[in-house]
Amino acid sequence: MNNQVRALREERGWSQGELAERLAVSRQTIHAIETGKYDPSLPLAFKLARLFSMSIEQLFDPGE
Amino acid sequence: MTLQRISWLFAALGLACVAVGAVGHWLLAWPPAAASGWAGAGAGYLAGGVVLRLLPRWWRQHCDDMYAQPAGRRYLRSLWPIMVGYTLALFASIMLIRRGIDSVPLRALVAVAPAFALVLLMRAALRYLREIDELQRRIETEAIGIASLLVSVLYFAAGLLQKAKVVEVDAATAMIWVFPLLCATYGIAKMLLTRRFQ
Repeated sequence: MNNQVRALREERGWSQGELAERLAVSRQTIHAIETGKYDPSLPLAFKLARLFSMSIEQLFDPGE
Repeated sequence: MTLQRISWLFAALGLACVAVGAVGHWLLAWPPAAASGWAGAGAGYLAGGVVLRLLPRWWRQHCDDMYAQPAGRRYLRSLWPIMVGYTLALFASIMLIRRGIDSVPLRALVAVAPAFALVLLMRAALRYLREIDELQRRIETEAIGIASLLVSVLYFAAGLLQKAKVVEVDAATAMIWVFPLLCATYGIAKMLLTRRFQ
């Protein structure tokens, strides 16, 4: 699934480690989400969307 | 604690065990079984340290990342006393069994003493599994699943071969190797699964 996580993180000047810390997950999880290798669960997707003040639909694109 | 530090700690523990065995053998005139037991434990720790040093760089970095997190730190903290306790219990158990214990219930209790430490390890591992994030939990559970299935199939096949009198393996040896085989297969599976998400 495509997403805007990397762009939004870089806009804010956060490293993967900093974002991981804000979400209480590992840096590897952030890397896997950003590269589209892992689709987060609904609770984690909501946490990400809230952190970036967006809706889940704006943050993630299922790319049908 | 980084994996590099852990490998040094393994090396230090290994050398300490070998030194105890050497002192026992040459200065205290211990029976050969006692001295070689310590030397064996030392060789095990030293081999562990070497294996940790030979792991690929990306894996060592991943482990350092994981052990820097609260769940990883708690897991490592609880792991050390368990592993030291396991080594001591194993050593004491082997020594006492070799010396001979007449009472069967007492012999059984002494023989399974090292397994109690592994029960504590299971408790620590389950707590770690509950505390890590969702991707790590997925990797861990998949690795545990793969290891359980592979080892079960291997033992099933080996059982059939033994029944057909193709192989002849001592039952106690075969049973003792279940846990180390599970751990090794789980470790390899976890490495491969982690690589998939890198």
